[in-house]
Amino acid sequence: MTALLETRGVTQRFSGLVANSDVSISVGRGEIVGLIGPNGAGKSTMFNLIAGVMRPTEGSIWFDGEDVTRLPAAERCQRGIGRTFQVVKSFETMTVIDNVIVGALVRTTVMREARRKAHEVLEFCGLAARAEVPASELVPSEKRRLEVARALATEPKLLLLDEVLTGLTPVEAQTGVELVRRVRDTGVTVLMVEHVMEIVMPLVDRAIVLDLGKVLVEGKPADVVRNPKVITAYLGDRHAVSA
Amino acid sequence: MSLTAETIIQSLASGLLMGLLYGLIAVGLALIFGLMDVVNFAHGEFLMIAMYVTFFLFAFFAVDPLLAAPLVAASLFVFGAVVYLLIVRFAMRAKANAGMVQIFSTFGLAIVMRGLAQFFFTPDYRSITHSWLGGKTISVAGIFLPQPQLMGALVSIVAFAALYFFIHRTDFGRALEATREDNGAVALVGIDKNRVFALGWGLGAALVGLAGAIMAMFFYVYPDVGASFALIAYVTVALGGFGSVFGAFAGGIVVGLVEAVTALVLPPSLKSVGIYAVYLLVVFIRPRGLFGSM
Amino acid sequence: MDNNFTARRRRELMLAAFLATVAAIVPLFVKDVYAQNIMVLTLMYAALSQSWNILSGYCGQISLGHALYFGLGAYTTALLFTKFGVLPWFGMLGGGLISALIAMGLGYPCFRLRGHYFVIATIVIAEIALLLFQNWNWAGAALGIDIPVRGDSWLKFQFTRSKLPYFYFALVLACIAWFVTWWLEDSKWGYWWRAVKDNPDAAESLGVVVFNSKMGAAAVSAFLVAVGGSFYAQFVSYIDPESVMGFQFSLLMALPAVLGGIGTLWGPMLGAVILIPLTELTRSFIGGSGRGVDLIVYGSLIVLISLARPQGLVGLFSRQRKAVSP
Repeated sequence: MTALLETRGVTQRFSGLVANSDVSISVGRGEIVGLIGPNGAGKSTMFNLIAGVMRPTEGSIWFDGEDVTRLPAAERCQRGIGRTFQVVKSFETMTVIDNVIVGALVRTTVMREARRKAHEVLEFCGLAARAEVPASELVPSEKRRLEVARALATEPKLLLLDEVLTGLTPVEAQTGVELVRRVRDTGVTVLMVEHVMEIVMPLVDRAIVLDLGKVLVEGKPADVVRNPKVITAYLGDRHAVSA
Repeated sequence: MSLTAETIIQSLASGLLMGLLYGLIAVGLALIFGLMDVVNFAHGEFLMIAMYVTFFLFAFFAVDPLLAAPLVAASLFVFGAVVYLLIVRFAMRAKANAGMVQIFSTFGLAIVMRGLAQFFFTPDYRSITHSWLGGKTISVAGIFLPQPQLMGALVSIVAFAALYFFIHRTDFGRALEATREDNGAVALVGIDKNRVFALGWGLGAALVGLAGAIMAMFFYVYPDVGASFALIAYVTVALGGFGSVFGAFAGGIVVGLVEAVTALVLPPSLKSVGIYAVYLLVVFIRPRGLFGSM
Repeated sequence: MDNNFTARRRRELMLAAFLATVAAIVPLFVKDVYAQNIMVLTLMYAALSQSWNILSGYCGQISLGHALYFGLGAYTTALLFTKFGVLPWFGMLGGGLISALIAMGLGYPCFRLRGHYFVIATIVIAEIALLLFQNWNWAGAALGIDIPVRGDSWLKFQFTRSKLPYFYFALVLACIAWFVTWWLEDSKWGYWWRAVKDNPDAAESLGVVVFNSKMGAAAVSAFLVAVGGSFYAQFVSYIDPESVMGFQFSLLMALPAVLGGIGTLWGPMLGAVILIPLTELTRSFIGGSGRGVDLIVYGSLIVLISLARPQGLVGLFSRQRKAVSP
């Protein structure tokens, strides 16, 4: 069975700075994979490359057996890659449900269908009660869930979660973890970038550690955490260059 | 008009001078935008006011525009600061449709100013008949340069140099830069954002005040005069790139030269087409203008 | 929840039908020609502003050069009629199509521009067109085109004895503009446009093809505005570049929307009903002296509204608004 997502030798250069170097990773169907690493490791860049925000300087990206390297972001969404943003980008002048309807409209042009789907997704994410509220009035943790809901409405095969659990209270984080599990249970594959180890490690099936733009180590969470190279990468003296 | 080498050089020379003057008009706009992300759509009217002040100083006190220039700049400085404090400050508080509020509040101001000018000064065209430099030309290497425009170009160059020095070398200039970079954080280091913005507006207005004083030497003064130069000013700033003071300078030169070349090739009524076309060409290739960072 | 929604949509439609009916009856009571003239203009600007609102309000691409399409519509009709005897009805269609195509053609390079660069590009393009028309001898250059009016005719869409046919046409145009907006509001396009306006990056990540959205909005908007321009040409039977492509028109198309509520369904209508009569009346009663008092009043109103109520006046009339700003 081929992997759902595969990056092959992806390198990304920004006028002098190498953000990613020869990164080859794969994500299998139904997995929850964590992409971790210290600041400046190139996680966000990798994310943006997979999502289609930019083209890699070298290498290719394969999704569901198709080379999507040249496809723009909107088309990747149509193929089944959904994503959230680290800095929440909700549609502020629209209501919560309208935000989600935008996502739903990728799969159907019938408004009634889109609305029904949006309701379902809001229920799933626990935001049903806030459906008619303007997105600008949500509290941060709700906005995070809206990000996820919107992306889910596009019926993705692969969901990219960009630090969706960072900065939440322990209770909110737990709800978030539950949500991610339930998302996977519906058959969606998840690739998540995270910082908070204690939350992420129990959640993911596999962890890929990036450091200085390269893949350092990958494997089961329990093994990765004990790996001496990983420990050095995190605790060692590093100048934080934000990716 | 026969296109001899002499005519072309003559045109380019005048164009260059005018261009430097355009740069002077535009730099105030660029400064304000660079500082607080606001486009002053009443900028043309600031120029108009400056020209009227110059005219009245001449008409009632027989002050030559050249002498009046510093006075005009000073009064425009005050005017600019007042406009910020009374209107723009509130426009920036808008959370809804922020862009629209900015555009239309300053647009509305422009219309009011034009109405006030018509009301107080009548729509009549005025001109300064006897200034020291007005109507005189000087010959440099066989090229005839009109003296007011030449003075304008010199003033412009000096102004840009002074601005550069001011922004990069003085404390206040650095405060201006700091506020531009992060106007939320500056409060933490004791910089009063409102004061900086008001002074920024004042400075921007003062610069266009200088330009107005010069232009009154060779242009008619009337309520709608600002409108003709406003669009050129916006195009100049956008061409150079919003947020770049140097861009306004470069943009002005480009605009002046393009305008001169266009006048050689096309009938006079189509003079501006060249500038507009060049603007579109530049931004289609570089969507942020030549030196823009925003 | 879906029932609330459909109920609201139906209410909006019924309110529109009601208002249209009321408007249709008004000329039966108001016979004064001057007043009727103002009413025709009000309806025309309502239609124009509503159409402008589609691109600039809903889709967020603020254009201050829409006079281009207005002028193209006017000139297409006028030229086709005076030079080739083509009936204005076809001229209207032609003008609309040409404008839509040009809007999309311009969109190609322009939609790459953001913020002020885009606005200035729209102004500049309209100015170029104005200057070109002023120098185009076949189209009458600066002297413009005089549309010969020989008696009343629906075929030739010209009327001498009464303003009523123009009134009803303008009313129909306003209704069409409103209806198109209403219909698109609850459609994939409407949602895409608002997403593009609020956050183009997020929109893209949700499968919205930002560029196509903008093109669609531009085409619809330009088409409707051009039809308005064609109407205007027939209404005044004389056009010249300055009067149909001038910047003041671009501004006058935007202002009702800003006043009433940009990006809303009723905003431009409300704005037009308030602003146009006000403009005309101040100009007649105060502006005649040429002393600029009308400008002072007009300008102050714009400043006040944009500062005091940036979301427009429409919000005053409803408790539950779908597109709410903080």
